[in-house]
Amino acid sequence: MDRRPLIEIGVSALIALICAVFLVQALALPPGRFEPLGSGPVPTWTAAIVIACCAVVIVSAILSLRGKNLAQAVQREFSGGYPLGGVMMMAFTVAYVGALHLKLAGFGFLTLAYLLLMIMGMEGFDRRRFWPAVVLSAVAAFGAQYVFTEIFVVDLPV
Amino acid sequence: MDLPALLGAIGHIFAPWTFFMLFLGTSLGIVVGAIPGLSGAMLIALTLPLTFYMDPFDAVVLLISMYVGAISGGLITATLMRMPGTPASVMTTLDGYPMARAGQPGRALGLGITASFVGGLVSWIVLLTITQPLSILATRFGPFEYFTLIMMAMVLIASVSEGSMVKGLIAGLLGMLVSMPGVDPSSGMPRLTFGFYQLNGGLQLLPVLIGTFAVSQVIKDCMDRSGVPERQEMKSSKVLMSLRDLRKGAGNMLRSSFIGTWIGILPGIGASIGSVVAYTVAKNVSDTPEKFGKGSEEGIIASEAANNATVGGALIPLIAMGIPGSVIDAILIGALTIHSIQPGPTLFLTNNDIVWGMIAACLLANILMFILMTSSVRYISGLIYLPKSFVLPIVMMFCVIGSYALNNTMFDVWVMLAFGVMGFLMEKASIPLGPFVIGFVLAPLGEEKLRSGLMMTAGDLSPIVTRPFPLAFTLAAIGLLIWPFISERRRKAKAQAREEG
Repeated sequence: MDRRPLIEIGVSALIALICAVFLVQALALPPGRFEPLGSGPVPTWTAAIVIACCAVVIVSAILSLRGKNLAQAVQREFSGGYPLGGVMMMAFTVAYVGALHLKLAGFGFLTLAYLLLMIMGMEGFDRRRFWPAVVLSAVAAFGAQYVFTEIFVVDLPV
Repeated sequence: MDLPALLGAIGHIFAPWTFFMLFLGTSLGIVVGAIPGLSGAMLIALTLPLTFYMDPFDAVVLLISMYVGAISGGLITATLMRMPGTPASVMTTLDGYPMARAGQPGRALGLGITASFVGGLVSWIVLLTITQPLSILATRFGPFEYFTLIMMAMVLIASVSEGSMVKGLIAGLLGMLVSMPGVDPSSGMPRLTFGFYQLNGGLQLLPVLIGTFAVSQVIKDCMDRSGVPERQEMKSSKVLMSLRDLRKGAGNMLRSSFIGTWIGILPGIGASIGSVVAYTVAKNVSDTPEKFGKGSEEGIIASEAANNATVGGALIPLIAMGIPGSVIDAILIGALTIHSIQPGPTLFLTNNDIVWGMIAACLLANILMFILMTSSVRYISGLIYLPKSFVLPIVMMFCVIGSYALNNTMFDVWVMLAFGVMGFLMEKASIPLGPFVIGFVLAPLGEEKLRSGLMMTAGDLSPIVTRPFPLAFTLAAIGLLIWPFISERRRKAKAQAREEG
């Protein structure tokens, strides 16, 4: 498998940071009063081991970069694929979930708009795909609303 | 073996509604397993919220049949498109596609389907015979036995997961850590909640699962613009294997099935490793190893028999001890918990009907999978060409509904999105997701056992080294931890000796 040292460094650092936040919180927990261990040591040790393992990964990734051209490494790790597709999907989804959270409209209409935007976005806003996308989005959005509220009796957002 | 209970469970599954669940689960599993980018774990995680209002027996039948179908469905895409529908079918791609290109797609699928069926059947026989005795043994386990078993399972998962062992440990321990926020069961006080009252109940398994497996996969698929690979047309839907071929491949099929079953039993390892090991063994013992990778029948049989056999094998530790044998089993543990069923060695006593339902569903789903795939593979193969742009947004919609439906709270939906991004980043850094989810499921049980054990001994940890099982599990865990370093040193020493020699 191809190593991606820069991504490994970034992700490991992020995980170590999350664990450090947990570690600080866990260290502040009071010792057990009715039992020997208490609620703090297990998360403390778990977070500490993860941080240590992340440090190992970071050091190993840095060592693997030694003597290599950094610009080429960046080029190799971050080229290829279609990152905009992922960013667009996350942006539309966060906006959709935010709109549901804020109750800006009903589930069916918001879902219809979300699905339509997502499908059209993934199709490069090709006009020939518009009507099939509208039909599919409407069937999926209102169909899901009907099935979940009427058959599975789930209270959908809004 | 409780034969009346097994026959009763089989009879129950033949009730119209339950049989419909079996049919639905198996067919959906095959279709989703066949569609590249969608996985069985994703399907089962998204189906979980739909089972809230179901009878637990029907829910278990539905989920198990999806599990069996999804592992089998990957064969179709692996053979016709050179794209494994599921990771478990990677090895099938090596020989299935060349055989299909050589004008024999029906034969390649026939070999794979029959091998899958035999693999499923062999592992089911093992499941049927050893699960109950193992659960009786496990009822004698005290807290230290359980704690050390869970630790050994975590080390095992980390040591065999893809990439390095350190990354496996990061994934498993991070999963354990994020399962810890919430009200501490011993003291009754909230811990690690960061001031969010929504975290008092802890992070729920379902949004974490959906985020980690479904959302991360959707993000990955949205970033992949590779075109549809060359398609091999099926001229006939007749894919039955002849008796002559069956006799010829019987030894390989049985050997690979037992390898798959054994690997399935080991916690958290799963179908992909099972098929890799069986394929490698088949190649090593074959009279024609040069044919492997170029359309070898033995290669297809080994890979498919083993990956399906891991399903039954992985159910053994789940039923007998409450330890998940694979990621999907971790989801099944979540499903049982949602239905107020506590997985573990007492499951045979407390929910006998559910246990036998799981065992019976595993058998019947295998038989149904064989019938469905041999009769309609030609039509199923048409579904795998659905455009991604139409499938992925709908999958995301189900992710949102599934996370929300658990507690009717948008907090869970945000948690799902956060874990989706986290899962995506972890995969990018080659940190495996399987240990993460298994750690998340096992951590509460592990901590509870450690703390209750220490309460019993007033803080004395010595039972870990004075009792036989905890000692054996601890030694095995230490061995698994240091083995990669020893084998690396030996490999380097051998390479150096070769250079010098």
